[in-house]
Amino acid sequence: MTSTTLRAAPPSAAPAPRASRAITPARLLPWLLLAPSLAALGVVTGWPLVRLLWLSFQEYERAQLMGVPAEWVGLQNYTQTLTDSRFWTVTARSFVLMVVCVVLTITLGTLIALLLMKLGRAMRLVLSVGLLLAWAMPPLAAMLVWGWMFDTQYGVVNHTLTALTGESWMGHPWLIEPLQFFAVATLVIVWGAIPFVAFTLYAGFTQIPHEVIEAAQIDGASAPKRFFRIQVPYVRAIYTVLIVLSMIWDLKVFTQIFVLQGIGGVRSETSTLGVYIYEMGMAQGHYGTASAIAVVFTVIMLAISAYYVRATIKEEEL
Amino acid sequence: MKILRFAAAGFAAALTLTACSSGSAGGSTDATDGGSEGAEIRVWLAGTDTPQDARDYLKETFEEQNPGSTLVVQEQSWTGLVDKLTTSLSGSDSPDVVEVGNTQSPTFTSAGFFAPLDDIAEDLGGDDLLPGFVESGTWDGTLYAAPYYAGARVVFYSEQMLGDAPVPTTLDEYVATAKSVRTDTHSGVWFPGQDWYNMLPFVWENGGFIAEQNGDEWEAGFSSEGGIAGLQQVQDLFQNASNAPKDGDETNLQVPFCEGATTFLSAPSWIKWSILAEADAEVPGCPETYGADLRAFPLPGKDGGAAQVFAGGSNVAVAAKSANPDLAKDALAIMLSDEYQTILAENGLIPAKVSLADALPDDEVTAAAAAAAANAQLTPATPKWGDVEAQKVMQDALVRLAQGEDVAAVAEELDSTIESILNG
Repeated sequence: MTSTTLRAAPPSAAPAPRASRAITPARLLPWLLLAPSLAALGVVTGWPLVRLLWLSFQEYERAQLMGVPAEWVGLQNYTQTLTDSRFWTVTARSFVLMVVCVVLTITLGTLIALLLMKLGRAMRLVLSVGLLLAWAMPPLAAMLVWGWMFDTQYGVVNHTLTALTGESWMGHPWLIEPLQFFAVATLVIVWGAIPFVAFTLYAGFTQIPHEVIEAAQIDGASAPKRFFRIQVPYVRAIYTVLIVLSMIWDLKVFTQIFVLQGIGGVRSETSTLGVYIYEMGMAQGHYGTASAIAVVFTVIMLAISAYYVRATIKEEEL
Repeated sequence: MKILRFAAAGFAAALTLTACSSGSAGGSTDATDGGSEGAEIRVWLAGTDTPQDARDYLKETFEEQNPGSTLVVQEQSWTGLVDKLTTSLSGSDSPDVVEVGNTQSPTFTSAGFFAPLDDIAEDLGGDDLLPGFVESGTWDGTLYAAPYYAGARVVFYSEQMLGDAPVPTTLDEYVATAKSVRTDTHSGVWFPGQDWYNMLPFVWENGGFIAEQNGDEWEAGFSSEGGIAGLQQVQDLFQNASNAPKDGDETNLQVPFCEGATTFLSAPSWIKWSILAEADAEVPGCPETYGADLRAFPLPGKDGGAAQVFAGGSNVAVAAKSANPDLAKDALAIMLSDEYQTILAENGLIPAKVSLADALPDDEVTAAAAAAAANAQLTPATPKWGDVEAQKVMQDALVRLAQGEDVAAVAEELDSTIESILNG
């Protein structure tokens, strides 16, 4: 671990100046300021990534955990992963879930942000506190509570539906059908993701100069027009960040799916990428193969992030 | 605009960092303490099965025999036990003595997680130890995990619930009785969709098998003639005798029983203590209502007698990375001593030593459990079996059966999945 700290530090020594001038303290300063976070990132994210890459080229099973030397197998873990139909099914499933969750999160988050703008002080406070509580709730605790609400025998959802519709919903298994399973999962994921989106957008919307909106209003622009022609363009950069972040978060969702699978449902029909890596690695002890899947997954995530970084830089240049 | 974006990106970066840093913070005990003076031995027990008397006895006896050293019993949850043990036993802060489920132990014995016990095997009990459990704790001819205790599933019922109906004496009668008393709100037998332990007797009694070794290859037997016949009977129970959730698991089985929601409950014998727990206990039972006239019988076989049931229970082992292996072996020896095992037996757990069976309490539930245990079967003896369990392939197949899917198709698929894992 200490060696990584040292390895992460050198950038401060080599600032790669554009002109061939001596390193002045003024040039060194930004790197010095960055050094602590670079060191932290190196230890917390960098080293595990290096290990992951390392493992993905080895046959690493439980015995290797106890010190048996691992065998190098080249690309075998990768070919095995990419030719496994299960991997592609799981990937496709994860992407569909991600798209649905992102669309719902951004739409509902926007609506709540707009609502926050319109509410009076007292109601806004109530709503904000509610959002904060949902945001602060650890996913595991939240999942257990959601699981109880959708419980087959004693769940409050079945109870309420029975009271409302007059038909008996008691004993309706919510998690057994993959579609219903993902409906419940989507509900919980979106519920947990909305607060961040709503708060960020609310912060953005409040920064739009009043005069602009007022002028549009006087010119006769309707509310939807004002929203799409003024408010959205003003906060476009925020939307880019939010959408990309949501995509990454929803793709790597683990806790929600894993806990729901423990409550009910059929695992082989509901696993997403995060859970699949867990099954391969922790549950079955094929750490090498699991690492290969994780590397492929990381590449996908990097591709998405790259788009975000490019978009940000482009904005910067404008 | 720039400020907004900057703030949003900073916020996001902060979140990413907190998400990453919430990993495990490691333990606190000092594992570098190599000497036996003043060492602390940590014993990990799984679940609540070990009675408090036994835990106290272990701690007191150990600290008396090893002055200056202490022993701590730490209770682990059965859920996720394999994951937890994999990470802890391979880390620098390994516990010293651990309990594992008997079907889980090959996963660890085959990969070097446990210290060999051959040098003390004779002192632990030798030939007196439960043979099936010695087998599951042995790898390549070396004993790594000693038997701890065994249990068996019995069928509980309440006299007031069964009424005048006779206690079934064959498996077919059992199915027929369970189906006949079932209504929309009452189950004949409580059979949650993931309860694969209760599926096994039907497969075995009809002549099926889980998997058998054929040369180097494992061959799974759920799609054999007997396997299909057994699974058909299981599906019949799921659909026509049970109102339990079709994707539920076998936790807290005392709840439906105490609600009076079922006539029969096939469960491990120690569920008796959950049913009889006081009404004001943390997990209450029903000693005054359906528990008042609690009775039990071993699941009947196809041709009468006791059916072949799944042999549940635990093994106990010394961690390979224990900082004080000699002290850990001392603790293990206490857990297999006649005194300690007698405490387990008196609480209705089948002791690890055959000669101590006399200490079992003289009641109907224990007698039923002993009869069932005499005919108990084990899961395939291969370390890869742990992977089959970890991946929950049997649970998935059963949930599909419970929903009414075609038995032959589900069995074929289940077999090919099991074969691919065992031969993989």
